[in-house]
Amino acid sequence: MTAPFLVARNIAKRFGALTALANVDLEIRSGEVLALLGDNGAGKSTFIKILAGAHPPSDGELLIEGNAVAFSSPKDAAASGIATIFQELALSENLSIAENVFLGRELKRSIFGVPFLKRAEMRQRVDGLLQELDAHISDPEAPVGSLSGGQRQAVAICRALNLNARLVIMDEPTAALAVAETRKVLALTRRLAGRGCAVVLISHNISEVFEVADRIVVFRRGRKVAERLAAETNHEEVVSLITGAHPDVRALEKTN
Amino acid sequence: MNGRELSLLVACLVAIVVFSVASPHYATSGNAVTVLRNSVELLLIGLGMTLLLAMGGIDVSIGIVMGLAAIAIGRILGADGSPFLALVAGPAVGALLGCVTAAVVVLGRVPAIVGTLGLLGVYRTAVFALLGGQWLSGLPSNLTDLLAATVLGIPVPALVIAIAYLVVWLAVRRTPYGLHLLAIGNSEEKARLSGIPVIKVRFMTFVVSGVLTGIAATFYVATYRNVEMSVGSTSALDAIAAVILGGTSILGGRCSLLGTVLGVLLLRILQNGLLLIGVPSLWQPVVTGVLIIGVLGFEAVSNRLPLTRFQRARA
Ligand SMILES: Nc1ncnc2c1ncn2[C@@H]1O[C@H](COP(=O)(O)OP(=O)(O)OP(=O)(O)O)[C@@H](O)[C@H]1O
Ligand SMILES: [Mg+2]
Repeated sequence: MTAPFLVARNIAKRFGALTALANVDLEIRSGEVLALLGDNGAGKSTFIKILAGAHPPSDGELLIEGNAVAFSSPKDAAASGIATIFQELALSENLSIAENVFLGRELKRSIFGVPFLKRAEMRQRVDGLLQELDAHISDPEAPVGSLSGGQRQAVAICRALNLNARLVIMDEPTAALAVAETRKVLALTRRLAGRGCAVVLISHNISEVFEVADRIVVFRRGRKVAERLAAETNHEEVVSLITGAHPDVRALEKTN
Repeated sequence: MNGRELSLLVACLVAIVVFSVASPHYATSGNAVTVLRNSVELLLIGLGMTLLLAMGGIDVSIGIVMGLAAIAIGRILGADGSPFLALVAGPAVGALLGCVTAAVVVLGRVPAIVGTLGLLGVYRTAVFALLGGQWLSGLPSNLTDLLAATVLGIPVPALVIAIAYLVVWLAVRRTPYGLHLLAIGNSEEKARLSGIPVIKVRFMTFVVSGVLTGIAATFYVATYRNVEMSVGSTSALDAIAAVILGGTSILGGRCSLLGTVLGVLLLRILQNGLLLIGVPSLWQPVVTGVLIIGVLGFEAVSNRLPLTRFQRARA
């Protein structure tokens, strides 16, 4: 078993009086697809936003390859090799695909100390990425706001791929996709893991999760209630873990 | 040139033809110079306002910022200060007040419309206190002579505006700054999640707007050689009107610098023409106000607002 790329220890997040996360311990390994499951409001998005540097944790610590890190912005997390596709995608609808893919880390050349955009080069790289994803977009210069849900998802994935990340986090990446596109995204998660990347996938589709995940973690009311190897569990058990009907979860919730 | 810019150009030409027919004093080279001369300050302030609106900001105190900068310049000239000091004073005061605005709006997280409205009240009182009910008048002409000069046959104001336009255009269309500005205008939270230094970009933009306004103040003092109590009181309204006429979205995320230039010219052509055909100058803010309401009303009912519809759906 490989050493974990990222370790989260005792993570908690409070929004005012609301405790969105408490005591979450989790290890994320390179080359592995980890699925994060749980009901609406279980705290999945909040947890990955902490990994992505979008929220500071109220408590706990993150270690990357054994070293403690503290992200003060999404840029910090990106610099540590973490790319995130947020549930709400975080794309700028008024900008083009290439502009979105490179937003915040544009390619530029310095002329008299002024950073000028390398538009042609960014466009070329994005065309390559879109081809790799097999995404068909008729007008790559169109604002992202005019694209379909699936096409936007492809743009968000391009953004993550472009970072050459060591950990790619996808929050419900297939929620807006048709069957064929869903297949492509699932295949992509496996390809990323095959390349040695760590992948975190959030999904409400359990069969989808069993197709690609190596490990499954279940969140419930802001706590991690279960962790299973995908090969050692099944659909029914996962459902009962999510709903809280599982004896393990009941026992846990009684003690808390 | 997009459709909006083209229609503005046509509107300018139509207005010129109509006023030429209506008034014998209109179509003279002297009047053309007057209109251009009257546009100088607003063009500079308008460029800054375009950046502010593009990032979802606004500054309704900007006219009084020009007034305060003009008072500083006037005081230096009046004290027989060096013309160099007088030239630096405008941009310096502008930058300083830009920092104050940014501190309130960006660091203090007060919504821009409210924060700058509050500052407007403060600055107005400051103007009153500084002038003490008296105009600065009869200022020496050294600045005037400097700025009335020509370089290679081009008047200095035209040159300064051309340079300012070029710099702002390059920054917006050719550097990462422009993308960051428009991304912030579309959604601050998404821009933040994309790794954009939102606070830095917003802060800097308020400072840039202040500097441009300070340069405008320099031309104001050089031209009129006095600073009156009501200095800059209509500039913010005029600038906002010109910028949204030009096609920059009041909600942010979209901007047109060429549109702003044409918007300023149209506004000044209308104000000058109406005056010449005998409409009292009291009516000028009415014209500006009606233009703002007209443009926004037109945009709301036409399908020119696809971006804002996304913004609403994604908010
Ligand atoms: N910025 C915020 N401010 C206040 N409360 C928040 C914020 N973000 C999330 N929450 C709350 O934290 C809890 C967990 O939300 P989260 O979005 O992490 O759930 P989730 O597991 O991703 O759910 P879903 O499956 O619906 O996406 C919810 O009660 C939510 O209302
Ligand atoms: Mg979620």
